[in-house]
Amino acid sequence: MKTVIVACGSGVATSQTVASKVKKILNENGVKANVEAVDIKSLDQYIKTSHVYIAITKAKKEYDIPTLNGIAFLTGMGMKEETEKLISLLKS
Amino acid sequence: MDLLQQIFQYVLDLGAAVFVPLLMFIVGIAAKMKWKEAFSAAVILGVAFIGMNIVIGFMLNALTPAAQGLVERTGIELNIIDGGWTSLATLAWAWPLAFLMFPLQMAVNAVMLIINKTQTLNVDLWNVWGKILTAVLVIGVSGNVVLAFLVAAFQMVIELLLGDVNQKQIEKITGIPGVTVSHSMMIFGAFLLPFNWLISKVPFLDKHVDADTLKERIGIFAENHVMGFIIGLLLGIVAGYSVQATLTLAVQAATALTLFPMVAKLFMQALSPLSEAVSDFMRKKFQNRQLFIGLDWPILAGSNEVWVAMIILVPITLIYAIILPGNNVLPFAGIINTSLAVPALIITGGNLLRMILLGIVTTPIFLYIATGFAPTITQLARDTNAVNIADGQLLSWSTLEYPVFRYIFADASSGSILGIFFGAVWIVLLVVYYRMMKKRTEALKKEEEVA
Repeated sequence: MKTVIVACGSGVATSQTVASKVKKILNENGVKANVEAVDIKSLDQYIKTSHVYIAITKAKKEYDIPTLNGIAFLTGMGMKEETEKLISLLKS
Repeated sequence: MDLLQQIFQYVLDLGAAVFVPLLMFIVGIAAKMKWKEAFSAAVILGVAFIGMNIVIGFMLNALTPAAQGLVERTGIELNIIDGGWTSLATLAWAWPLAFLMFPLQMAVNAVMLIINKTQTLNVDLWNVWGKILTAVLVIGVSGNVVLAFLVAAFQMVIELLLGDVNQKQIEKITGIPGVTVSHSMMIFGAFLLPFNWLISKVPFLDKHVDADTLKERIGIFAENHVMGFIIGLLLGIVAGYSVQATLTLAVQAATALTLFPMVAKLFMQALSPLSEAVSDFMRKKFQNRQLFIGLDWPILAGSNEVWVAMIILVPITLIYAIILPGNNVLPFAGIINTSLAVPALIITGGNLLRMILLGIVTTPIFLYIATGFAPTITQLARDTNAVNIADGQLLSWSTLEYPVFRYIFADASSGSILGIFFGAVWIVLLVVYYRMMKKRTEALKKEEEVA
């Protein structure tokens, strides 16, 4: 199973909000994946073992795995596009 | 009436880990959640309480003897253990009236939007706990429940107003349009204002420092387990522990700091279906209007200035804790001072040197207020049965968010003349801050037009 990580300042609040939401959306679409909220302070460690990174910040550096826009899941704007991208990444 | 009171008391006596999930289940059903989901969320909430209780207890038991060793050896009394924000969030959610903050926040935001006093729609329902904590502290100091709700409502109004005026600066820093930060920690900007004004008069501070490279180098110190290990190690050494005991304490401290967010995440898991439903509802009600969506602070976490400033302030905070007369807090779980770095990022517009200087100037305030609130916080933990604290142990949060606002208004609510006076002064500062950020918004807009 593929792993999706969402990072925020503490790995507790915002990241978990997005993670719960993404998990729910994936369930509704019948896509199985691990969705985990992680602490941005230890992001580099988590990137190594994950397949997709959902960022709540505008990332300055490039990561080795595809990065999606997590703000979309918080505001609802552009959420459909990000969801489609995520699903196609997980199915590939 | 008597019977009702007895039932009420019986439920409260069950302790937070039982009655809050029970309440959550009822609220969930009332909010039309499915039985299965409401039940699952309620049980997870109970797990969060018990889990936090275990970790806090573990932390207190590991650190308290070391703090005692410290006082015996050096006379420095740091007998208040810093449980960080997760410990305080546990206490906040344990308040029997906590859930009433959801409808209050919805109502305040709706009214402010309808009368056109704000453009911010706060969809960050998780952080109602900040308002709950303010209310709980007001009650702890004054015992007045009505005033507690009034101060909380006042805080909700302020965070919306700050969401409006900070938006452009936040957009400039993050590059994300249409969103703002409606987290109350921005309130600290009002207190930073006079210091920032003074610092802005110093010419050579306007140098740009490359925070990105610095973050790459020192970022490892911000990782919870690393930070915990180092603090444990230092504490063991100054407490006069043997090498073996020092290393054990270091790993125990690393364990506590690693487990805190892991367990606190359970609160969020339990509450997210409910807060999700509330924020969806609010968004739908106001979807025809052009609004700033108010989010939690981590949208700013991509600014490495925040991390560099916080890491540099860690040793400074520890030194202050030791040398400040009258400080009794041992900085630990809350040592990464987000409560300072985030508002400082906004008020300085991302100037790292000024942010650090603001930290050096205001860290004593954080420590003194954490010391001042410790008896109240410890008593709250005992009253709600949320956290077991043994006799002789004290709990606080070294970097309590917007400490000045909370301290002044808790004091004012108990009728203290000094509190009311400083409350008035504080409001003046807020007004000046609001105007300054409004001007800055105009300036940033002009810059955009030129570009």
